[in-house]
Amino acid sequence: MEPFVQNLILGLLLGGVYALVASGLTLIFGVMRVINIAHGAFLILGAFVSYTVWNWLGFDPLLCIIATTPVIFAIGWVVYRVIVSPIRDAPMSSTVLLTFGLALVLEAVMGFIWGNNSTSVRPSYADESFTIGELFLPKAQVYGGLIAIVVLVALHLLLTRTWLGRAIRAAASNPTGAQLVGITISSVAALVFAIGIATAGAGGAIAAILYPFVPGSHYQWIARLLAIVVLGGLGSMGGAVLGAVMFGIAETMTAAYISPAWATAVPYAIVFAVLLVRPQGLLGTKLRDDAVAA
Amino acid sequence: MSEAPTTQVARPIWLSRIALGIAAVYVLIYPLISSDLYYQNMYITSLVFAVAASGLNIIMGLAGYVSLGQGAFIGLGGYTIGICATRFDSVSPWVWIPLAAVVTGVVALVLGVVSLRTRGPAFVIITVAFLFLVQVIAVNWKSLTNGTAGLSLPLPTWSIDIINWPFYYALCGILALQMLLAWWIQRTKLGMGLVAIREDETKAATIGINLPVEKMLAFVASSFFVGAAGAVYGYYLTFIDPRGMFSILFSVQIVLSVLVGGRATLWGPVIGAFLIEWINEVANNDLGGGNTRLLIFGGLLVGLVLFLPTGILPTAERLLSWWRTRGKAGLVGARVETGGAFPVAKDREPVPALAPDVPLLEVKGLERRFGGIRAVDSATLAVPEGSITGLIGPNGSGKTTLFNLIDNTLRPDTGEIWFAGERIDRLHSWQRAHRGLGRTFQITRLFREMTVLENVVAPQRTFSLSQLGRIAVSGAEAERARELLDFVGMGAFAGQKASDLSFGQQKLVELAQVLMLDPRLILLDEPAGGINPVLIERMSEMIRELNRHGTSFLIVEHNMPFVLDLCDPVHVLARGRRISTGTPDEIQADPSVIDAYLGEDFLAPQESRPSRDREVI
Repeated sequence: MEPFVQNLILGLLLGGVYALVASGLTLIFGVMRVINIAHGAFLILGAFVSYTVWNWLGFDPLLCIIATTPVIFAIGWVVYRVIVSPIRDAPMSSTVLLTFGLALVLEAVMGFIWGNNSTSVRPSYADESFTIGELFLPKAQVYGGLIAIVVLVALHLLLTRTWLGRAIRAAASNPTGAQLVGITISSVAALVFAIGIATAGAGGAIAAILYPFVPGSHYQWIARLLAIVVLGGLGSMGGAVLGAVMFGIAETMTAAYISPAWATAVPYAIVFAVLLVRPQGLLGTKLRDDAVAA
Repeated sequence: MSEAPTTQVARPIWLSRIALGIAAVYVLIYPLISSDLYYQNMYITSLVFAVAASGLNIIMGLAGYVSLGQGAFIGLGGYTIGICATRFDSVSPWVWIPLAAVVTGVVALVLGVVSLRTRGPAFVIITVAFLFLVQVIAVNWKSLTNGTAGLSLPLPTWSIDIINWPFYYALCGILALQMLLAWWIQRTKLGMGLVAIREDETKAATIGINLPVEKMLAFVASSFFVGAAGAVYGYYLTFIDPRGMFSILFSVQIVLSVLVGGRATLWGPVIGAFLIEWINEVANNDLGGGNTRLLIFGGLLVGLVLFLPTGILPTAERLLSWWRTRGKAGLVGARVETGGAFPVAKDREPVPALAPDVPLLEVKGLERRFGGIRAVDSATLAVPEGSITGLIGPNGSGKTTLFNLIDNTLRPDTGEIWFAGERIDRLHSWQRAHRGLGRTFQITRLFREMTVLENVVAPQRTFSLSQLGRIAVSGAEAERARELLDFVGMGAFAGQKASDLSFGQQKLVELAQVLMLDPRLILLDEPAGGINPVLIERMSEMIRELNRHGTSFLIVEHNMPFVLDLCDPVHVLARGRRISTGTPDEIQADPSVIDAYLGEDFLAPQESRPSRDREVI
């Protein structure tokens, strides 16, 4: 029984990290209808930035999140202004290709800067664990998961309790209407994109202490993240959190009880199954598609 | 009828033809004039990508389904020949190439099935998942694929002097077949249907385009020869492994080829494939490969989407024709003709008359809810054969939703729809169109990137595979379309892009488009909305003319003089229910109608009851 409970807790903690990053992905989609295929690449970028800060200043790696997140936020803002905003009105397939190209560029740039060898960030407590009764919980995973949940709650408060949050949600549900009541869509969109990317950066700083990474790791991450948001329903924050927790638990359980070789296929299989059976995902809504925007 | 419309700018075709011809001949004779294996290898790889890009163009360029899984078909072809050739070493590996094509075509059907349920970005995501899933299977199914260790094929048995020739010319042959297929599809009803799907899938279904069949055919056509090319490529490499054969960069290279050359063009993807493979080689050999190659591919993808979304060929063509006409091309201020008599279709089959008590269209207890709102609430009404029936009601009373239910743009929650004595509410939109149900939209939904003529030839009256293969861009189909365009007065605009037309002109073209279906009943959604009075008059005349030839109408319209003048009977809808039916005079006298439009407080002055000459709304 204990290994099962232990796996469940670890799965939940991992789900917290996934939920944070997936929220950013789904937020970007919700407001600007852009599926950011480069999200995984920004996460790895966050991991590398965190690695550099840790190496340079010798902080606790998890504290690096305070430095990493603003850096990635700023990069996200610039990227939006320079390459995403010019094609805001292009068909969605074009923006998918664009962000895919961006992911390749980021992968190459990271390769130039940090090299293509496996990198890992090892905090002083890397080999320590909390022992509660029979439960055996690695400290890195516990801290990482808890910090992800704190950041996620902060993001939630930002979106629900502040003027900016209301502007963002207004822009998501009706851009034209939001513009009419004085919300500058282009500024909100840039902020949303940057905030979304920043979640990837924060998630990357946490992921850095959990797994070793190379620039090419972004494929695995984007596969997971897409599986999560598709499962939860594209554009739904609640769906992203629910999907992330389910996915985190499923992944931990698969690794523990089923062959890890086939576990890599799980995200792809989920994407396939969900999009075929219930394209709107668990919490996504189907819009009235007969109403014509005049 | 084969003469080019006067409004179309002659394209400088000869220039590009000469250039293409020279390039094609050069590639074709290259192994004969040079024994440089480096370039031969580059051209062989380019040919493989050219086949893949030309195939991808069928679903991405024509049907609008962007796929990042196209590279998987090269791998599937390679693995088919690898698996077979290593197991049956007594036969020549060449015999497996047709099998590879078939296997690939069958797997492509899986993506075709997926495309029935998902569109746009969701489809792109699923194609990536498809590619990785195939790769994971190739890695893990060791008994079949030998896992990451890969498969080694038997070495070629012919002379080392001409070692590449069989591969080279096999690929040239496959590319020729692939391009012939692409060229043919673009000229047929199938091709028109695919472009219609790209432009507006829901609308495409309402003009008789059988979506599943068209998409399945497109996916098979997009992959069949790619599998064959992949098999030749696998044999040429003599070693295949999952990382190499199912690399996402294959797919990126193919998508780049289509984008750079120009979507929906015949030669664009092929030119693009040669260009991108050359860049790939330069990046790998002269610039250090690895990260540089990634940077170049990623940067190209970003740059193309941002700066050259239409690709080289269409951009060059546009610049050339601009240069030739000094920017004076285009049809400004051409007149909408007054039109002529309705040209009855020559191959029109007489339809059996209905029994006297059977209406042409009958809706029984139809209901559709959106959340808590009952947009259509147990609506019941009938359209007699040969009538021009009106359907009026206040805004939000459910008129357009009712239309959407009748043509299957929406599905009803409960209720029945009968057409010519047959229950149709379980049928697909295109099946309803084939039975003679046509429909126009309140906000016109022409296929914006197609010309006016292409818009009108796109509808499909019946479904058969042979009709899909019929040439649409010339011949009988195009002639019929021109007749109909002349009838609605838009003949002069045949070569214009639909998006260049005014709203009123679009309404006329949409009518011609529906007439191509030779429908028994046409649902017109606000035919007089947003167009000028002269055009409204003309619309009225055409409806009468068509009605004299036996076409029935159900018309939603807010312009009361238009409706009351034209329609009999008139149904009135309020809050999703039919509240009244009668002649125009009866409707105007009905207190419940006045109440529905103007509210309970309004009392119509008894003496001056609104007459049919005045607008009451």
